[in-house]
Amino acid sequence: MRHPFHKKTWRAAWQSAVIVILAAFMGLLWNAFRTDPLPLVADWSPEDRLKTSSGESLIVSLEDARSLCTESEAVFLDARSPEEYARGHIRCAQNIPWQSFDDHIDRVWGAFPDDAWIVTYCDGEQCSLSEDLARELMAMGYRNVKVLVNGWTRWREAGLPIGGEQSADGSGPRGNDAEGAEMSYSGDRPLKRPGVSNPTAQRPHPRDTSG
Amino acid sequence: MTEVRTGVFRGFGKREGLLPLAARLLLGAVFIYASIDKIAHPAAFAEAVYNYQILPGPLIHLTALVLPWMELVLGLFLMSGLFREGSVFMVSALMVIFLSAMVFNLARGLDIHCGCFTTATDSTDDAPMVWYVIRDGLFVIPAVYLFHHTFRGKGRPEGGARITDDPEPSG
Repeated sequence: MRHPFHKKTWRAAWQSAVIVILAAFMGLLWNAFRTDPLPLVADWSPEDRLKTSSGESLIVSLEDARSLCTESEAVFLDARSPEEYARGHIRCAQNIPWQSFDDHIDRVWGAFPDDAWIVTYCDGEQCSLSEDLARELMAMGYRNVKVLVNGWTRWREAGLPIGGEQSADGSGPRGNDAEGAEMSYSGDRPLKRPGVSNPTAQRPHPRDTSG
Repeated sequence: MTEVRTGVFRGFGKREGLLPLAARLLLGAVFIYASIDKIAHPAAFAEAVYNYQILPGPLIHLTALVLPWMELVLGLFLMSGLFREGSVFMVSALMVIFLSAMVFNLARGLDIHCGCFTTATDSTDDAPMVWYVIRDGLFVIPAVYLFHHTFRGKGRPEGGARITDDPEPSG
């Protein structure tokens, strides 16, 4: 044959189609027979992802977060890296980098009662650091954990108070007082959002029993 | 000098050079190896697909379910020599897509923002992501070679497509 390329192109096309169909068939069949099949179509929006096992939303609105921050009613935890935190962060937030969470776990335990209101955030609509941190905190026994989705970007764009290097160029009303914010939650008073009661029984901290 | 074998099983039992044989065996093994863990843990793989932040939400689960099986099928076809053109084309296309996705995310610093590849605390910064890109780039080399060899080489379906006992054509 003089022009085998065309023939090969045709073969590549139909063979590829067969491969895709075969893989799809096997994948879907495999999923159907699994004990915990995945739904074929899932909504991966923040609203869908950020739910407790009982279906309660973990999301806190920007307005609520703002008042929680200005009224010092919640602990704000920045789940991003120390470098990003240093460049700029929500004024009342302290840095608990998710990637080195184990190094910070004792700081969290020592500082906050388990009924403290905690707001975690990172940056980007789909950033999962804040969710990971929030779920770990809940697993540790914290009952009032919320996530501020895309927190850093939304906070900054709303012109709300920030700390870090970026606050020096006038984008924030005052300078960096993040360290001061960190000290204001020493665990001597339970942090509770007014108007919200939490009837769940007190669960002892796993770490309290050891000390 | 005409092709004798045609049809679905035409790739089976052909003579071929050592290099394309090694390339497709290596790539096939890599694809099969890569598919096993994903097939076993579709939910975890869906999370990984999601973390790439490239596909729209509704496509994530379908991709997580079908892509690993595609890798397995392609790996088996590559190693066995069946469906040569289709599997070489698909493998090359997938390698390019994988590498593009990684470079794209490396360029926008996603590993730093999201920790997409860090499940443990052993990661310091973007070094792992760079390593993934380099490793993937190494696997692209045999894929490109196979693609060229299959579709552009010698004007024949394979370098040794003829099943006569003639030596490899010299020019």
